[in-house]
Amino acid sequence: MTDCGCERAKLELDEYLHDELGADEARMIREHLDGCRDCETELEVSRSLVAALKRGCREKAPDAFREQVLSAVRDMCARHADDEAAAASAASTVTPEIA
Amino acid sequence: MAVALMSRVDARTLHLDSLTMNDDDTRDDLDPDPRTADGARDVDGALDEDTRDDADADEAEVDDDSAAEAPADDDDELVGETFEAGDPALRGLFEEQALPYLDQLYAAAMRMTRNPADAQDLVQETFVKAFAAFHRFRQGTNLKAWLYRIQTNLYINSYRRKQREPYANALDDLEDWQVGGAESTTSQADHRSAEAAAIDLMPSSTVKDALQQVPEDFRMVVYLADVEGFAYREIAEIMKTPIGTVMSRLHRGRRILRELLGDYAREHGIGAAQEPGDDPGATTASRAGAARAKQTKTTKGTGR
Repeated sequence: MTDCGCERAKLELDEYLHDELGADEARMIREHLDGCRDCETELEVSRSLVAALKRGCREKAPDAFREQVLSAVRDMCARHADDEAAAASAASTVTPEIA
Repeated sequence: MAVALMSRVDARTLHLDSLTMNDDDTRDDLDPDPRTADGARDVDGALDEDTRDDADADEAEVDDDSAAEAPADDDDELVGETFEAGDPALRGLFEEQALPYLDQLYAAAMRMTRNPADAQDLVQETFVKAFAAFHRFRQGTNLKAWLYRIQTNLYINSYRRKQREPYANALDDLEDWQVGGAESTTSQADHRSAEAAAIDLMPSSTVKDALQQVPEDFRMVVYLADVEGFAYREIAEIMKTPIGTVMSRLHRGRRILRELLGDYAREHGIGAAQEPGDDPGATTASRAGAARAKQTKTTKGTGR
């Protein structure tokens, strides 16, 4: 593991996995992976880790909470409309759009 | 479906980036009436299917193609559009486009705050804030990244202050070996192959618990990159850190995670099949406690 490309490959595996490398770099890593079981398994672990994280982090917001968020947004919207109306009647010569 | 979308689109005077290059400068702030160019926009409904993907890459702030994991395929037809504040169409559109991210943002908030009450406060505040700013959001750009940016800002500015946790900034300065687990898994390929297999068999809740033990900023980067699939550049933007920091945090966060999961696997003899979804909690918790103690010690070492 002196330098047959492993050191560099290991450094860039995360980037490779995330598609963050340029085409040339990615190709170099790919070529290296083909011949290096050490790095190949490293990538395998990373892939498993990503899959496990995706699986483990699924979460569903409680329904009541969803409703709560909706009504918070609607309240805000209603308040905004009230403000607009107030502003319009307070300064009827200036439309809210122009102001 | 397509017909319904198109009429909705017309009603809201959608237009494409490609058709609005000229008024881009004025759109956000100065154009009081987005309906002024209606005629030019009539064709949008027909075009948007083809141009949708490109449009995602057009946002100035988050403009990486690989980043453009667009808001599913359901709601991004109004490409390029922004609204005036107070437009009654905004609320419906917001609910339609942003609400589908509620679960994701909630999941992220759970990873940030680590408890449902704070997570809910955070997400609700995020949505309220996002709605207040939604008229400035450019349709067709990356809504998910936009929402995450709001939530992460809110979290960093308010919620995090309440929590006592070593800032990752301190940890960023440490060498890998100090963070723990650095090279412990670099031995042989066989071992790693087994490690991968063990991770595949790991109960979901164990993975989640382990992630919760990873120091915060590392945890967030791992989450944003691996779970949400954001590009490094987007994560840098969301977390307001340089890309290099994103990369090293991701690397280290994964290392820590691997070590935690490795410990768990050894203790439970995994691969010995364990059904995903079931958490034999006690052991995980004690393991997590140990990891945390170690973390704390490490941080103290820096004098912060």
